[in-house]
Amino acid sequence: MAFLMGSDIMKIPVYVVTGFLDGGKTTFLNNLLNKKDWKEISILVIQFESGEEDFHGRHNNCHKISFPKKTLEQQQKQIIDEILQNIQEHEPDEIWIEWNGVVPFSQLQLLFLNSPLHRLCKIQKVLHIADAEKIENILGRTGSALPEQIANSDFAVIRGARSKTAYKRIRRVMGGINPGINLYEARAYNDLYKQLFSGKGHPVNVFFQVTVLIIALYFIVKPAMDALKIPTNTIINVFLGIILQAVPFLLIGVLLSSAIQIFIPKETIERRFPKSIGLGMLVAILGGFCLPVCDCASIPIFRSLVKKGIPLPVAITFMTATPVINPVVILSTYYAFGGNMAIVINRICFGIIVSVLIGLTFANSSAQSHVLTGGALDRLMCSCGCYEDAESVTTFTGKIGLFLRHSQAEFFSVGKYLVIGTFISSIFQTIGTGIFTSSQSSANLALSIFIMMVMAFVLSLCSSSDAVIARSFSNQFPIGAIMGFLVFGPMMDIKNVMMLSSGFSKGFIVKLLLRAFIICFILVFLFSSLGGI
Amino acid sequence: MQAKTFNPQVFLEFICYLAFGGLMYYLVSSGKYLNYVTPRMKPYLYFTGVVMAIWACTGLFRLFRPQHKIRSAHCFVLTIPVLFLLLPHGPLSTADLSSNYVGGNALTGVTSNTGSADDPSNSIDTSIPEEEYDALEEEYEVPEEEYSAILPGLDEENKTITVSDDTFGMWLSEIYVNMPRFEGYKITMTGFVFKDVDSFKEDEFVPARLAMSCCVADLAPTGLLCKYDKASELKTDSWVKVEGTLHIVKCQYNDIEYDDPQIFVTKITPAEEVEGYVYPY
Repeated sequence: MAFLMGSDIMKIPVYVVTGFLDGGKTTFLNNLLNKKDWKEISILVIQFESGEEDFHGRHNNCHKISFPKKTLEQQQKQIIDEILQNIQEHEPDEIWIEWNGVVPFSQLQLLFLNSPLHRLCKIQKVLHIADAEKIENILGRTGSALPEQIANSDFAVIRGARSKTAYKRIRRVMGGINPGINLYEARAYNDLYKQLFSGKGHPVNVFFQVTVLIIALYFIVKPAMDALKIPTNTIINVFLGIILQAVPFLLIGVLLSSAIQIFIPKETIERRFPKSIGLGMLVAILGGFCLPVCDCASIPIFRSLVKKGIPLPVAITFMTATPVINPVVILSTYYAFGGNMAIVINRICFGIIVSVLIGLTFANSSAQSHVLTGGALDRLMCSCGCYEDAESVTTFTGKIGLFLRHSQAEFFSVGKYLVIGTFISSIFQTIGTGIFTSSQSSANLALSIFIMMVMAFVLSLCSSSDAVIARSFSNQFPIGAIMGFLVFGPMMDIKNVMMLSSGFSKGFIVKLLLRAFIICFILVFLFSSLGGI
Repeated sequence: MQAKTFNPQVFLEFICYLAFGGLMYYLVSSGKYLNYVTPRMKPYLYFTGVVMAIWACTGLFRLFRPQHKIRSAHCFVLTIPVLFLLLPHGPLSTADLSSNYVGGNALTGVTSNTGSADDPSNSIDTSIPEEEYDALEEEYEVPEEEYSAILPGLDEENKTITVSDDTFGMWLSEIYVNMPRFEGYKITMTGFVFKDVDSFKEDEFVPARLAMSCCVADLAPTGLLCKYDKASELKTDSWVKVEGTLHIVKCQYNDIEYDDPQIFVTKITPAEEVEGYVYPY
């Protein structure tokens, strides 16, 4: 990793302060740099904006230069030259930058990482200063520069948070933009120092260390587990089987959903999509029927539909119906149950009815924006790291590039939950089914349906393959219970819940899960006790 | 601006895409993917490889666009499957499985015994719809000479069927679909001794193979039931070559009667273990 280290030690550390106009950046710098800890250190302060307050160094160790926004936009060469000149003149130990709140962070990266400056300076830490009172309001309205700055910050400093709940809310908003960002109160100087001067390992090095650790663990833990009669080999095989099965479908899902996100303007959807919920649901079901994707694919698509402003009930109907009624699933059910059309038709009908009902229960629920974790913000820009506004990129090649990056980001963000969910369910699949089947022996119909639905949830099978498993249980369970398995399993399972949590609030996921379970259970139970199946 | 710097995150992603995509391609071309999924996944895995290759290429354009905040944790989404695929682990055998025996009928066009005993209305329709049967018949109505060409191992003159290891799954569905045609045929097939304690009688066992209908998660032993006096002497999970005669036997399960093809064993010899799984359809 030599190329990463280089001669970093010789470089001047650069600390960047980001934040919206009047967010308190200058005040923060005045307070921090005038502390006596900095007395002996020669500092170059570079301001890229002029707020109401001016920076004043009290100890005569700070030299200040500032550039207006106009220069920043038009004469970058001049800025670079001037900074270079100042560095040579003053030989600062540290450089502190007050960055402009409405200019993207990528501009700063261009200045310091892609110019001769990168030989002299190294961006050490980026912090974000936010006014607790205003930040949420500002974030929803001011375009993509600010979220981009937050996403690039190492930690954030919050000023003037009145209550714990406000603080928590801000933490959630920030976490939605930059997962794992740490928040600090403006007066907690000790914590700030720690953050500013702690040398965390380089992420790439950490990555390789963890990789080596996994390999080492594998060789140590596996024999130990084998000795304990825990079937690790089976778990690994099952895990890989499900992953190899799911990843292609997940790819189809993220590609389609990114295509919706990038290529279909919001206005078109608003204009063309049926206004009434009934008609919308019909479109959703037809769409679900036409898409040969399993549940791994329908969740990213669901997310982008909600973001694009499709009514929530319709989007939910789409997400829950697609994995049950699509042609691949129909075909596999048909094969698994040996051409038994009754099962196939029952599965399709139940799938449609249940998903429509689940959708309808959300018809009166709260505003769409509360459902997504990022709130209103999430609809403004994509939560996954590409901050160019989809609507502002107009050239076709630009859109293709954005489409590819968007699909990659979405693949990773949903994929990590897929990996975790798959791992849990592969453990359950390997050791778990016996528990379910043994409790069946004394069960009545309601309990059987319940057991099969819980099993469908826990096993998290891909909807294109669950019919075969269901078939293998059909000797022990009544057909009503099998139907519960076939209808509920594709809609909701551990894997799906995990993947949903990549973009939706916990409250919403729990609500959706409960409603889906109850509706599915009642319908299947009623029909099978009336002899309808 | 001649001084370009390097973006380690993009480079890391580039490596991960290449590794994952390359591994997909290797798995398919070497046939190793069959240990995890069925042959039907082949085009999908190629598709995955192609998408990964495209993503890797687009990464190249951004390789020299540096950024301050470097992330690497997300790459584990690709790294963990790659690691698990590369680290040593063996394919599964019956001893590893907890799932139930799936009769050959589950994998073919005929459903048989399902439903709860107490509620007859809950049972699955036990016969295939009429038209369905006709379609199947038509499909299999092939002139006699061509027949053996389609079904390797069939000797119409001597009424024998030799099931090779590669044609196990195919023959299983063939026999279930065209039961009457093969009544009385001599059959030879290889599998491991499988006995389901709950439902098998003393003189019954199955020379089974593991069948994968979708992925390795749904592996289940499958095969034809054998009648053999000394079945209890056979060691479970040992590999045997079974020779015997095919007969249609009336069976009963939960008050429903159905036909089941069974082998009346004449000879059993130990056999080498057969690698690989059986893929129905």
